Order: sequence, then structure tokens, then C-alpha cells
Amino acid sequence: MRKLTSLTVVVLVGLSAGALAAANLTITQKGRLFSSENITIKKGESVTFANDDTVPHNIVSTSKGNEFNLGSQPPGAATDVTFKESGDAQVICAIHPRMKMTVKITD
Amino acid sequence: MSRSGFIRSVWSGLVVAAATLGLIGFANVSFGGAIVGEMRRTEPAPKAAAAIDAMKAEYRRPALIPFPKENPYTPEKASLGKKLYFDTRLSVTSAQSCASCHSPGFGWGDGLAVGVGHGMAKLGRRSPTIVNAAWGAIFMWDGRLANLEEQALGPIQAPGEMNMPIEQLMERLGSIAEYKPLFEASFPGVGLKPDTLAQAIATYERTVVSEQAPFDVWIEGNEQAISEEAKRGFVLFNTKAQCSSCHEGWNFTNDGFQDIGLASADVGRGEFMPGVVKMKHAFKTPGLREIARRSPFMHDGSIATLEQVVEHYDHGGVDRPSRSDLVKPLGLTPQEKSDLVVFLKTLTSHLDPTTVPVLPR
Repeated sequence: MRKLTSLTVVVLVGLSAGALAAANLTITQKGRLFSSENITIKKGESVTFANDDTVPHNIVSTSKGNEFNLGSQPPGAATDVTFKESGDAQVICAIHPRMKMTVKITD
Repeated sequence: MSRSGFIRSVWSGLVVAAATLGLIGFANVSFGGAIVGEMRRTEPAPKAAAAIDAMKAEYRRPALIPFPKENPYTPEKASLGKKLYFDTRLSVTSAQSCASCHSPGFGWGDGLAVGVGHGMAKLGRRSPTIVNAAWGAIFMWDGRLANLEEQALGPIQAPGEMNMPIEQLMERLGSIAEYKPLFEASFPGVGLKPDTLAQAIATYERTVVSEQAPFDVWIEGNEQAISEEAKRGFVLFNTKAQCSSCHEGWNFTNDGFQDIGLASADVGRGEFMPGVVKMKHAFKTPGLREIARRSPFMHDGSIATLEQVVEHYDHGGVDRPSRSDLVKPLGLTPQEKSDLVVFLKTLTSHLDPTTVPVLPR
């Protein structure tokens, strides 16, 4: 049982430390728009999606290998997304159809 | 511990870790797809109450209608598009045209709770207005069509609506002699094709715009244009009632999809984004121009009057996970509710009556 507990702690700490790592590229949502329509990152890097708007947003991507869904993100919230597959991830806000951007992930 | 025992405990450890992480907000540690971190929250800085003039600045009507570069405006296209829009021969029965359900007599809708199609069968959703469609970002209640050109061919071919296969329509229109020169003039060298049919109809539709309403006269600086109740209603619309979060700007919509808590089984946009909780029961936000002429309201026409619409939002509707975070009980006073309705009525402009065109034979 002690081995199980310590292993669990190692996994948890490892993943939390990843989240606190070097400052990410940040994409801000404001005025029902993304702050940038195109960014380029390397495989394994993260992007922070920050809601600086007055309304909730729901950022998603259905691009193969880089799918994600942030759910309803209220004003003031920020979430990191780590992109594991190279290629273009088309990112949208499910709520607001004018909000579209591309994250280009290079090897 | 034995080797297999060690492997079991590694596996259990990972399961426990994943479960614990799920409890503290790790949305998605999946083996395909991106890794989503924990959501960090900060309270947004409190917004200073905007002065009414700053609010009004968001609502100025545009000077020009936008036409896409792939389908620019010409008077020939618009005139041809108007004939096609009013031509019942676009339906298999020759009994229904676009104008049957999107009629100038009813604010460019049909005044019904849900549309009526082929064989007089009721459809599932209300016929939307085409007013100000030129500024739309996406079309249909569930957003399944990207632009007006795509939308124009939808109801024509839909079995439940005009039920006219496109090839059959090409033959029928091709046999109407007076259409040929009109298509040649609008689309030189191309003539009648499904694409040009759609482009003509879309061009006409883009010319259907709301005119100057009393609200606009007030926005432009005339304080006598609307009543004090309407001005209070405008402020409520932008503050306590939070309407402008979705019904924003001069056309009173950002085309966003929201579940507003209506008691309807229809999942709307959720059909196309099944994994996104907030898209279940979400429908496209309509604009509010000419709204007093566009009853009944909602995607299913389930709300008859503007007063009842305000009541719906004041109560918040069905509380479910998909409901927009913005929709919740508002605590409006009777005076506030009345002011909102008075404000909405100032969005009716003096639309010139539309003349029905003489159709080609």
C-alpha cells in the first residue's frame, strides 16, 4: 500500500509540475475574437487560452490527434493545452462562429 | 512483492492518479488528442458601469451592405434573384417559393410557430427571417450551412420543403424562355446552373435589410426619437438583463449558439458537436431588428409575445448542464420588464412594402 501511495504522488506531482513550466504562448479571447489567428509551436509545447472577455467561451478543436474541449470557460479563466501531434489544429469557439484560429505544430 | 504484483500496483497507482486528477479539474488526460491542463481562475477586474454614450456607440448601423467577393452585387443578379425568390415553380408542386415561408408580409418570416412544407406538413423549426442576412456568419438554427449561397439550395431540394431535385429544377427553369436572357445577363458565358441560381437568390437576399428605426434616430443623437421607458429598457438590455451578451451590436446578434433553457427536446447545434455539453439544445442567436413584427419567437415558435420572452429570461428556463452560463434568473421588476419590451418595439423600421415581381413565362 505504501508503494501505491508514493507512486500516485509521483504521477500527480509530475503532471502538476508540467503545468507550471516555462511561460506559454497565450491566446486571449476578447470582444468575441481570438488575439491571433495563426501561431506556430513545436510538438509537445503548450498554449494558454485565456478568457479576457465579458462572456464565457468554449474553445474546442476536432483536428485529428489534437482534439480538445475546454468546456465553458468563464471570464478571467485560463487553461493550458499541450499539443502532441504535428500538423494544423483548427481551433474554434463552439459558441461564437466568428472565432477561428490555427495552431501550427511543427516537429 | 512479486513482479506481477508490482505491475498491478503501478497500474492501480495510475488509475488512482487519474481519478484524483479528474476530481481536481483535469478535463482530459487522453491517449489521443491534446492534453488539457487545470483551469486557472482569476476574478475579472470589475467593469466600471459604461456611460450610456459608450453603450450607444456600439449600435451604429453600417453604411454599406457587405457582398462577398465570390458573389459581388450587380443589379441584374439582384433582379433575377428576386424573381427566383418569388417563383413558386422552384418547388415540385409549383405551390411554394422562398417567399412563402420568408415573406415580406411577416417581417420576412411566415408568422407561424413552425414552417409548413411539402404536402402542408409541419416542419420541425420556425422559418427564420432573412432581414440583414448579409451580415450573418453562419446559417440555419443549428449552423449547418456556411453561407447564403449554400442555404439557397437547401430548402429547394429538401423533401420536406420544396422537394425539387436540382436536376429537375434546371430542366424546368431551362424550359421557361424568359429566364434564359436574364441568366445570360447576370452570369455571362455561364447561364443557368445550380451555382448561379444560388448566387442570384443570395444576392437578392442580401438586399433585404432593416431600414432606419426610431432606435437608430436616437443613436444618431435625437433625444426625442424614443421614450424615456425605451431608454431605460436599452440600459437594462446592456446591463442587468445581460441581453447584449448574445444580442450584441447594431443587428442585435453575434450569431452565437446558446442553450437558453427552453423546454424542447430538439438538440439543435448539439447534433453537429455531440461531445460539447454547451451545444446540446443550443440554437443560433437571431437578430432583433423588426422583432415586434416577427412573432412567435424561439426556434420552435413556442413563445407568443415579447412580454413572455422577457418572462422566460427572467425565470431562466430549464436549469441543465447545457444551459448557457449567462442564462439564470434575473430578478427583474415589473417596471423593468415593461421597459425592456418598450425598448424592443423601437427596433421596428418603416420597411417599404415589397412589390412582387412579374415572373418569366
